[in-house]
Amino acid sequence: MAFSLLAHPVIPRALVQGLVFVLGLWVTRAERAISFNRDIRPILSDKCFQCHGPDERQRKAGLRLDLRSSALSARNEALPAIAPGEPEASLMIERIESSDSDDQMPPAEVKNPLSARDRQLLRRWIESGADYEAHWAWIPPKRIALPRPQERGWERNPIDSFVLRRLEREGLSPTREADSAQLFRRVSYVLNGLPPSAERIKTLIQQHPANAYEVFVDQLLGADRYGEHMASVWLDAARYSDTNGYNNDTPRYNFRYRDWVIQAFNRNLPYDEFLTEQLAGDLLPSPTLDQQIATGFNRNHNVTSEGGIIDEEYRLEYAADRVQTTATVFMALTLRCARCHDHKFDPFSQREYYEFFSFFNHVPEDGYHKEHVGNPKPVVQAPDAVYQRRLELLEQAIGKAEQGELRDSLEAEKKALEKSAPTAMVMKDLAIPRETFVLMRGDYRNRGEAVTGNTPKIFPPMAEGAPRNRLGLAAWLTRPDHPLTARVAVNRLWYQVFGRGLVTSLEDFGSQGDWPSHPDLLDWLATELIRLNWDQKAILRLMVTSATFRQHSGADETLRRLDPANELLSRGPRYRLPAEVIRDSALWMGGLLETQIGGPSVRPYQPPGLWTEVIVADDSYSGGKYEPDTGPGLYRRSVYTWWKRTCPPPSLNTFDAPDREFCSVQRARTNTPLQALVLLNDPTFVEAARGLALLALQRKIGNQDRMAFMFQRATSRLPSSSELDLLIKGLNAEQARFEGKPEAAAAFLSFGVETGGEGHSLEQFAAWSVVASMLLNLDETITLH
Amino acid sequence: MGYDLASVAAQEMGGTVLTRRHFLGGLGSGVGLAALSGLLGIGGRQRVMGEEEFAATRTHIAPRAKRIIYLFQSGAPSQLETLDYKPQLQALHQTELPDSVRQGQRLTGMTSGQKSFPVAASQFAFRRHGKSGHAFSELLPYLGAQADRLCVINSMFTEAINHDPAITLMQTGTQQPGRPSFGSWLSYGLGAVNQELPAFVVLISKGSGLPNAQGLLSRLWGSGFIPSNHQGVKLRSQGDPVLYLSNPTGIDSATRRRMLDGIGQLNRWQQDAFGDPEIAARIAQYEMAFKMQSSVPELTDFSQEPDHVMDLYGPEVRRPGSFAANCLLARRLAERDVRFIQLYHRGWDQHGNLPDHIRKQCRDVDQPSAALLVDLEQRGLLEDTLVVWAGEFGRTVYCQGKLTKENYGRDHHPRCFSIWLAGGGVRPGLSYGMTDDFSYNVLENPVHVHDLQATLLHLLGVDHERLNFRFQGRYYRLTDVHGQVVRDILA
Repeated sequence: MAFSLLAHPVIPRALVQGLVFVLGLWVTRAERAISFNRDIRPILSDKCFQCHGPDERQRKAGLRLDLRSSALSARNEALPAIAPGEPEASLMIERIESSDSDDQMPPAEVKNPLSARDRQLLRRWIESGADYEAHWAWIPPKRIALPRPQERGWERNPIDSFVLRRLEREGLSPTREADSAQLFRRVSYVLNGLPPSAERIKTLIQQHPANAYEVFVDQLLGADRYGEHMASVWLDAARYSDTNGYNNDTPRYNFRYRDWVIQAFNRNLPYDEFLTEQLAGDLLPSPTLDQQIATGFNRNHNVTSEGGIIDEEYRLEYAADRVQTTATVFMALTLRCARCHDHKFDPFSQREYYEFFSFFNHVPEDGYHKEHVGNPKPVVQAPDAVYQRRLELLEQAIGKAEQGELRDSLEAEKKALEKSAPTAMVMKDLAIPRETFVLMRGDYRNRGEAVTGNTPKIFPPMAEGAPRNRLGLAAWLTRPDHPLTARVAVNRLWYQVFGRGLVTSLEDFGSQGDWPSHPDLLDWLATELIRLNWDQKAILRLMVTSATFRQHSGADETLRRLDPANELLSRGPRYRLPAEVIRDSALWMGGLLETQIGGPSVRPYQPPGLWTEVIVADDSYSGGKYEPDTGPGLYRRSVYTWWKRTCPPPSLNTFDAPDREFCSVQRARTNTPLQALVLLNDPTFVEAARGLALLALQRKIGNQDRMAFMFQRATSRLPSSSELDLLIKGLNAEQARFEGKPEAAAAFLSFGVETGGEGHSLEQFAAWSVVASMLLNLDETITLH
Repeated sequence: MGYDLASVAAQEMGGTVLTRRHFLGGLGSGVGLAALSGLLGIGGRQRVMGEEEFAATRTHIAPRAKRIIYLFQSGAPSQLETLDYKPQLQALHQTELPDSVRQGQRLTGMTSGQKSFPVAASQFAFRRHGKSGHAFSELLPYLGAQADRLCVINSMFTEAINHDPAITLMQTGTQQPGRPSFGSWLSYGLGAVNQELPAFVVLISKGSGLPNAQGLLSRLWGSGFIPSNHQGVKLRSQGDPVLYLSNPTGIDSATRRRMLDGIGQLNRWQQDAFGDPEIAARIAQYEMAFKMQSSVPELTDFSQEPDHVMDLYGPEVRRPGSFAANCLLARRLAERDVRFIQLYHRGWDQHGNLPDHIRKQCRDVDQPSAALLVDLEQRGLLEDTLVVWAGEFGRTVYCQGKLTKENYGRDHHPRCFSIWLAGGGVRPGLSYGMTDDFSYNVLENPVHVHDLQATLLHLLGVDHERLNFRFQGRYYRLTDVHGQVVRDILA
């Protein structure tokens, strides 16, 4: 299936590629000027800072290589570490090129040697003057004028100007636009986590022939499904779970936080408010119940109820978890590295860690969750719809009942109900703040000096007069000149859309993190987010309507060699879909997906005994056995699946969903045989396949059209004639087999809910289901492309 | 022994030049470069420290063992009733533990409020065994008979005082959640030998000592920040041994084969269209899944085991999911070259009624553990299989709760505990380390959890300081920033 990759295939392709390779890559990669931030800092940071960096206690020979002044000053020895322009007069070069093992840097025992390329780069950098640059992520984003690429007519919005200029610099061209069906499918997955129906797309194109795609984007951004999909990513970062974690891993009931996240995305709560309510909703003037529920963000951590634990040790652990989560999610900082000592790579002292820690150290809470089960305090009453309804019914009954036994028992029931009213876990600050100390080596028993809440000094300070609490912290994070907040936010959105971040280390923007592939674009997007009043939907709209996003995702061998990971954005995004999306989409394809939004977590199919293997046997600890729901709970979106940390939902886990014991902002995308077993044999997917077959059989059309219908539901495109042939042959083979063995057909159809339908035999139904299962297993079906 | 992991690995890869990406293969490492780009997931972002060097050698040291069978005793067995013989305590029974011994060390919240800390001597007699003369409790007669095969360490210690952090430290090198487990490090570092089985397999059994056993946690076989294809795969005794291994009822293997052929063809057409090597990887993984559908049932089927072998493991071996059955399964996994075989036997947390409970727990594990050693030896597998028997900490010499003549309990004790090792590269018949008369403090040759981890890795040919994974800017390793190889116990 050949296709032209170039947007403007005028020049013969082979010639272009040859030129690209000779002129583009060779020249730009090898001879381009050295950039400190891109080329040198990563080497110094990774190989040298451990002993010659910010950590004072570990510093050797009084030398800092993270500061130019220290690197250039002559110390006891004759030569300075770095003599700009004079590698031969630089002690660093002498030591890194030394073959004497006593002299060699880094020392062999560190087991982190420089490569030949590293050494060559350091030499060239000193030759060219040894200029330093401040680390890009500590400087507020700069909005530069849009670049003007040479090629005209391709760009659809400013994103494309940055991308195209970079491609041109590397001697590449963009790939042609994806087919319309691919594009509608792609954007539907990106924004809603579900595929589109062919009928819907057809109608859209009829009604809006000029701008069907843009209309579709707006519909997707306006759909309830949008918030659910965005939340499933955010909940990893917020380590949301339905259990308390640790040894006993008892249940908690904090789904109100999850529902708050869904609603916040759906009503497009501006990101600054989204951040503020989660960090400090309780400290806002007269906070609403919703704003308090939002602070569950900082309560989602594990809480232990293991007998005999030492309270203070764990209480401090919870505060440390909040530091880690807040710093990772909002700033992509590895601040937690400074818990036991000064940070080895980034300019954060241990003292600054505990100043930041102080913001999270005033919660009226215990280390030990003595009730074992349920929501650890502090909590607020958070009556939900089910509770309200029950209360109303009881009150009505009480109103109708006469004095006497019945009424008394109803009153008692009401009291009991009120006592068990649903709660939500929230943040609160003690009236009299706790003292916070620097803890030597992070040990709760070993207190150093007392500190109070503050932010790291490398950043602009908190506003004068701002409260030194979480609310002040939120205000500081959302000031427009904060170097990290907006960059980190747009980078996460970029990751969700394109499958990799502009900074691929989503969790680390520090000096050990990855250099942005498109620094100017990242900064432009960050300033744009702020300019648009932190409107996340607007940023997503920009991304998905860009020409960059709309490119075809294929690549021939040459392009794959030149841009293997699509870092240059030389083609459209292509990646395996996340666990939740794979399951939800299969349910949708089978016509089984329940679209009810929000509410308590549900329990879909799970093999028996998985919990029993690992839980504390006493049910009062473990929260009981896993009983799958019957009815709608089996078919809700995966964001509503009960998440037990010590035994996460197995099929989601197989597709790389984390256990949510701690904050995680990026999932691996593995490709394993266990995934094949899930798609082939997990009852959810078997039932979805049967549902898809049933939808096809119910259509009063011929078998070819039925097959095309199923294929299209799975892949959003029509099959080619060879694909159709293959599937029809497959169908016939299975039908013959089941007709010879009707009991096998009956057995195959005996599981789950959907077995019936008129106008076809069980054998036909079974055969169609087998083919439907094949379609759910296609690489194409589980890939965004 | 002339076993060379690197060359074996090269053969597995069809003789291709090894690059770092191959190490990330795990279960998928037989499927060539195409698959491996996918296993990395995030654009090849992860880096290994000293990458080029590691790529060239794969193992850092000549390996003494190819695989580990780790018999983890979850809940923490009392050293006083098993391996750490303290005859002096009989005379001190019911006397107060001297402050000079306790030295103000912290206690758990379960006993820190006790007014009295009376010494409870073991109710069980000890007997010396073999040429080595190591003393085993009468609860462990079968293991005693293997004394000259074992290396017993009585001087283990840890910092953690509760189960969750302690077992997490033992299995992931740190007390708090988030790090990769031991087996996932090996899967990541060394990859799989057998391409039809996972590199890291987990087997769980419930003890008969304590119905209300400590919980286990998926993080103990999780992969932390390493890609999740390296996490342990549970082999279960209930339902499918591997989740979703069986075809749905009514689907036979001929249908399944036809399905896979069809899926494979459709996927290949896609690959022609998009040129994505990830698709080739997926095709290979579907074939692997199909192979597992026969290799796993063959593995878990004991019907071909002769009676004399079954009998070696004792009567419980015939009960699927028992520790004995899991020991036999461990041998079968070792025969099939699975890299890391992790057993968990639950139920050792004996705060009260210890004599009754520990008798039952020991009965669960004594004969099968010993049988495993004999069986491995007879097949020539013990020399390159490292067997580890350990819990997460020890138990207090003082009684928790009421001390009577017949009954007592023991609280958690991190300051010393006893384990044994056997097989691949370990000095047999050695008793290593010594505790004081109260089995409270280590007097000689202390071995920290990180030292044990460093030593086990060393035996597998891995320098614990060089097997690392960069995450959030830091090179992480199993032993954190600690660990010393305990050279004295190497054969």
